[in-house]
Amino acid sequence: MEPANTLRQDGESKGGILAHLEKLETQMNRSHKRFEEPQRAQAEASTLRTRIHKLRLLRDKLRAEVKQRQARIEASAASAEPDQTLETSEQEVLETKRENLKAILQAYRFTGLSGKLTSRGVCVCIHTAFEGNLLDSYFVDLVIQKPLWIHRHSVPVFIPLEEIAAKYLQIDVQHFLFSLCEHLNAYAGRKYQADRLESDFAAFLAGPLQRNSLCNLLSFTYKREPGGQSFPFCARLLYKDLTVTLPTDVTVTYQGMDALPTSWEEQRVSHENLFRTTSLHKVFTSFAGEGGKLDMSLLP
Amino acid sequence: MDETVAEFIKRIFLKIPMTNIMTILKAWDFLSESQLQTVNFRQRKEPLVQELVLLCEEKCASLNDAALLDIIYIQVHRHQKLWDVFKMNKGPGEDVDLFDIEQFKSSFTKILQRALKNVTVSFRDAEENAVWIRIAWGTHHTKPNQYKATYVVYYPQTPYVFMSLSRLKRNIPLLDQALMIASKHHQIVKIDLRSRYLDSLKAIVFKQYNQFFETHNSTAPLQETSLWLDTNMDLRVIHENKIEKERVQRVTRETFGDCPQPRLEFAQYKLETKFKSNLNGGILADREEPLRCMIKFSSPHLLEALKSLAPAGK
Repeated sequence: MEPANTLRQDGESKGGILAHLEKLETQMNRSHKRFEEPQRAQAEASTLRTRIHKLRLLRDKLRAEVKQRQARIEASAASAEPDQTLETSEQEVLETKRENLKAILQAYRFTGLSGKLTSRGVCVCIHTAFEGNLLDSYFVDLVIQKPLWIHRHSVPVFIPLEEIAAKYLQIDVQHFLFSLCEHLNAYAGRKYQADRLESDFAAFLAGPLQRNSLCNLLSFTYKREPGGQSFPFCARLLYKDLTVTLPTDVTVTYQGMDALPTSWEEQRVSHENLFRTTSLHKVFTSFAGEGGKLDMSLLP
Repeated sequence: MDETVAEFIKRIFLKIPMTNIMTILKAWDFLSESQLQTVNFRQRKEPLVQELVLLCEEKCASLNDAALLDIIYIQVHRHQKLWDVFKMNKGPGEDVDLFDIEQFKSSFTKILQRALKNVTVSFRDAEENAVWIRIAWGTHHTKPNQYKATYVVYYPQTPYVFMSLSRLKRNIPLLDQALMIASKHHQIVKIDLRSRYLDSLKAIVFKQYNQFFETHNSTAPLQETSLWLDTNMDLRVIHENKIEKERVQRVTRETFGDCPQPRLEFAQYKLETKFKSNLNGGILADREEPLRCMIKFSSPHLLEALKSLAPAGK
């Protein structure tokens, strides 16, 4: 503020005063605005606050109503107690029924073939077994559409699943499943015999057991007595039918140069018969059990 | 030991990263425990390799031992090769496949050796009864080139063979023939599948992906909570499309499963379809002939990318 300056020059002073007044006006406007903004913000905040307050009141009212209704229901339920106990006993009955059914469904695995409905079809499970031993399980996930197709499966790659499906899947699903069961059970049985021979009767084998993926060709050299003086025989077992667990072809040969004495020739022939008629590990169990003689009681 | 064999072994050792050297040596099982104990495995690669090569010379490593080492190297680093997939067919009404591995190996080797005098064939068994075959090719006049070998992975009693073909293309017909005759098949066809990831190819070809199956006996309950509507999110946020999202998630899970997907890098589809349009009078709308086009999807890991589209809301 410079009053001395404005009074000195007249012409300039008017412009000076007006300019000064203008300056003061803008200053005032600005400070007004600065006042207004927080005021506006405050006004907005207070409207929001009232709104929140109203909503909270509404919420509390609704909560109280819910509590009231619940109390009413409980009261009526308490007064009607015999009905409630009836309900729970019904519920218990249903629960036990449900548990039983679940157990039955789980027990189906012992039949060898079980399944569970999926959203698109059914997931069939084949549980293999051999001579009373439960072995691996395999799954086939079928999609029920026209045509029926296999979504995915855990069947080993060397089982001819595609062939079996091509033959039976579209025509007769049951036939397909049974055929697949046959193949898988037979494979599991052959594999079991080969595994048992390798693990339990390794002492009888003079070299490694030669086998293939399907376990349908087994070739090994064995001695009648472990580490004994008997001659080593070479056995070659072929399973030309993939649904069997006993070999279709058996050859037992002698690897020596000399001719076999008659007793050993007889043994060779009888071994051939044994392999053809008895499962592999049982044959070797009989060798181990007797130590020299053939156990005829183990033959079927 | 032949100088070429020594050089070959040295080059293989130099390729092996330090972390894998011990595993590969153990799998090779050529150098004895006592020999390996004398080696200092903490030194730098070049002196280590020289020591190992000297030990191999002491033990008179043959070309076959070196070839075996090469197979093991490739088995461990199988993603370094590009694998093609072939399918073999038997004639109709053929007998059951009584696969005899010894017969196969001798038959295969004999066929190749009869045709080309100079060829190195090596076999190694692997997991799931697979047979790995390594063939180094020569001609009647030249020795086999050990650095450009072909590798074949055959799963006996299945129709599938995986091959990593070297650039020597002229030997492919002979290889095909040897495989067919030795394995008693009539025909071999290349199928439209190729990848560096042998395990993914196996999973696709043998349909071994996603091995989780629903049964009544499963003790682990199916995870009800979804993977991406996760519990860390604010509970005050309600999803509008919850039902739709859950449906998408269920379908995705049914199609893809929970396990990691086999690794595909690109998929190409030939499409032949009629154009459907809501707008009348579009250029393509009234065509009688179907539209033919080829669509190609590519990604570093195609199936996982598709699987993750679902939570992204597509």
